[in-house]
Amino acid sequence: MSLFEPFQLPFMARALVELVILGVLAGTVGVLVLLRRLAFVSDTLTHTVFPGVVIGYLMAGQDGVFWGALAAGAVTAVLLTVLAHRRRVSEDAALAMVLTSLFAIGVVLVSQRTAFTSDLTQFLFGRILTVTQEQLVQTAVVTVLVAALLAVLRRPLMLRTFDPEGAAAAGIRVGLLDLVMNVAVALVVVAAVQAVGTILVIALLIVPAAAARALSDRLVFIVPLACLIGALGGWLGLAASYEASVYHGLRLASGGTVVLVLVVLYGVAALAGAVRRRVGLSRARLGTPELEMTR
Amino acid sequence: MTWLDSTVHRAMIEAALVGVLGGVVGVFVIARRLPFFTMALTHGTFPGIVVAALLGVDLYLGGGVFGLLVVLAVVVFSRARGQDFTAATGIALSGGFALGVVLVSAQDGFSKDLTAYTVGDVLAVSTSDLVITAVVAVVVLVVMAALGKELLLVAFDREGAAAVGLPTAVLDFALLAIIEVTVVATVPALGAILTVALLVGPAATARLITDRLALLFPIAAAVGVSCALAGVWVSTQWNIAAGASIALFCGSAFGAAFVASVVRGRLRSTVDVPVAVTVPEEAPA
Amino acid sequence: MTQQQDRTAALVLEQASVAYGHVPVLEELHGTVRSGEAVALIGPNGAGKSTLIKAILGLVPTVRGRIEVLGVTPAQARRDVAYVPQADTLDPDFPVSVEQVVMMGRYRKIGWLRRPSAADRALAAEALERVGLSDRAKNRFGTLSGGQRQRVLLARAIAAQPRLLLLDEPFNGVDAVSQHALLEAIALLKQQGAAVVVSTHDLAIAHLACDEVCLLNRHQFGFGPTDEVLTPERLRATYGGHALELRGDRVIVTQT
Repeated sequence: MSLFEPFQLPFMARALVELVILGVLAGTVGVLVLLRRLAFVSDTLTHTVFPGVVIGYLMAGQDGVFWGALAAGAVTAVLLTVLAHRRRVSEDAALAMVLTSLFAIGVVLVSQRTAFTSDLTQFLFGRILTVTQEQLVQTAVVTVLVAALLAVLRRPLMLRTFDPEGAAAAGIRVGLLDLVMNVAVALVVVAAVQAVGTILVIALLIVPAAAARALSDRLVFIVPLACLIGALGGWLGLAASYEASVYHGLRLASGGTVVLVLVVLYGVAALAGAVRRRVGLSRARLGTPELEMTR
Repeated sequence: MTWLDSTVHRAMIEAALVGVLGGVVGVFVIARRLPFFTMALTHGTFPGIVVAALLGVDLYLGGGVFGLLVVLAVVVFSRARGQDFTAATGIALSGGFALGVVLVSAQDGFSKDLTAYTVGDVLAVSTSDLVITAVVAVVVLVVMAALGKELLLVAFDREGAAAVGLPTAVLDFALLAIIEVTVVATVPALGAILTVALLVGPAATARLITDRLALLFPIAAAVGVSCALAGVWVSTQWNIAAGASIALFCGSAFGAAFVASVVRGRLRSTVDVPVAVTVPEEAPA
Repeated sequence: MTQQQDRTAALVLEQASVAYGHVPVLEELHGTVRSGEAVALIGPNGAGKSTLIKAILGLVPTVRGRIEVLGVTPAQARRDVAYVPQADTLDPDFPVSVEQVVMMGRYRKIGWLRRPSAADRALAAEALERVGLSDRAKNRFGTLSGGQRQRVLLARAIAAQPRLLLLDEPFNGVDAVSQHALLEAIALLKQQGAAVVVSTHDLAIAHLACDEVCLLNRHQFGFGPTDEVLTPERLRATYGGHALELRGDRVIVTQT
């Protein structure tokens, strides 16, 4: 398999750049998603952006898509924060309802159009190979924004994630912080969904961080590892789908292939992590018996 | 020409059946906090259906087998240290769906089926689909009637259930199997994404309406059937995707019940406040 | 610390009632804790001990009466108050090292963008030293035993240099070594002029570590010097049917 040659084509190069940026962005946010257990929240956001995309498109054509998605993402982030912490409805039930209702609105709107199937398919699975220069810029801008936001808020976020009660006791406004976190996930989704589709966004938000977590116990390593794995998955997935389509006559959807590569990378990481821990354990048992005795 | 030859009639029956199923099974989905898992299940059956279509075997069978694989994958993933159930579910969800997409993309001219899969097409159900759904509904309801008490105990108090000697692992598996079968029966009508609306919405709505366990099941079933029938009717009147209109009815029912419960809570607390305030004013005197 | 600071009231409860939403949890609390003193909150499960701690943090509203912390309202005083949660409420899988947890105690004083200074690091190291866990600084938090985790959380609070320290059941399921380390560290904080509020159901520890006791079960059943308040009659009143009397002067609490 050739790992470099396909990317001499401009559209492949653009796809690669988009996925590398997104890999870094989603890797960073993904670690928070993992530690805060926001996988379902992310999944919800990827779907609820859909009606925004449709409305934006109906109102202002292709230019309206980004802003429509942004508005829908913001509405969802607020809805989620409001619905959280209700006693009689568990959060996941509320999430499921927000997800399906908003997505259904999108489907209803889009089902009026003649190109119904292709619109929906594009939203769900994206068209990574037709990424435009403009979309690249959008993604890059959002990445810088979110990265700056997380850098500024890293300490309160860490404290809130590790010890919510302690964070509240230290005077951190947990509700506001959660809203900011939801908005950050929404921004990632908005930046990515049009280019790569919902399914790849959710995978990028969850899988690299989970793989990195399996490899390391230290946050200092987990974040860069997650970024690396996200970018690596994008690269290998694109190369693989190109290889299959061009040389083997097997047309593999690029977005889906990237997700599968990510899942494989996760499997490898989980295995490596398990092996490393076992080795580490037996080393501890053999090497420092007196330490074990005293504790 | 029999009554069942009409597309709309078949759709109505299918909708009513999945409405009852979704409502009743949904009570457990809510109680055990499984909405996200259900989502993963609906997506995970996708590659199974594609493979079944390629091999020419029964679609329900393919979806069912892959659903079981998803159950297994989530259990294995969440056993890994440092990984929680949510992340494992997310990985299974995206991985399963992507596998389906890749398999589909390798085939030409499959994109129409793809849409049918993601948002469903209840108007396309055949009489044999109806029979399968009916059989599933009967089996699930019988199993739930038989095991309902035990399943509820496990949901409410796992350790207590184990303490009185119930096989919690077997019961867990039974519940997941029930959910899976329901998902496989519902997905053709509502699609992978919107099936969750029917498996969560009616039960969550019922939960907001009543605190009494005995009433949860009939209310959830009633809400499920009404939403499903109303959805199909609206869909035929205005030519919108039926899965979407059913999901919207579920969402509206939930939203209305939610607002009502908040308003009720407000009313009750505004009655409470003055009482609470007057007590201490009298007490010191 | 000077004598004058020793005398200041760190915590004042004035006929304070506390409620969750509209459900009253604690009513009519009255008492004072001075700097350099420790008070034990004692009562059965569900008595409202944790709720009182949250109220002192300003996380649960005081619906009547007044709670004054360090001369101001609870919310205004948070900068100088440190809270030690129960260690078992925290996720043991969280990828954070012991020294990072202790450094969290400095977050408020460090500010958002700056890096921890040498002084911050020194304070964190010293706090960890005080609970006797300097050798575990690089370990992951979750690899420690329950008692050790509790000590790390106390070190985090010490690193914040609080004037009022709140501990929620710190001795629950803690081994003897850790219990000793916790008590030592608390005693040293008291010596340096901090006020301490600790909820516990262990009467022996209350005797050992605290100057005063607040007996709680929805209402206050006594607040004052340990020897005066921990009487069989009052304990029986607090615990209702769960107190058992032995030879007139000793009481065993059968359910906590």
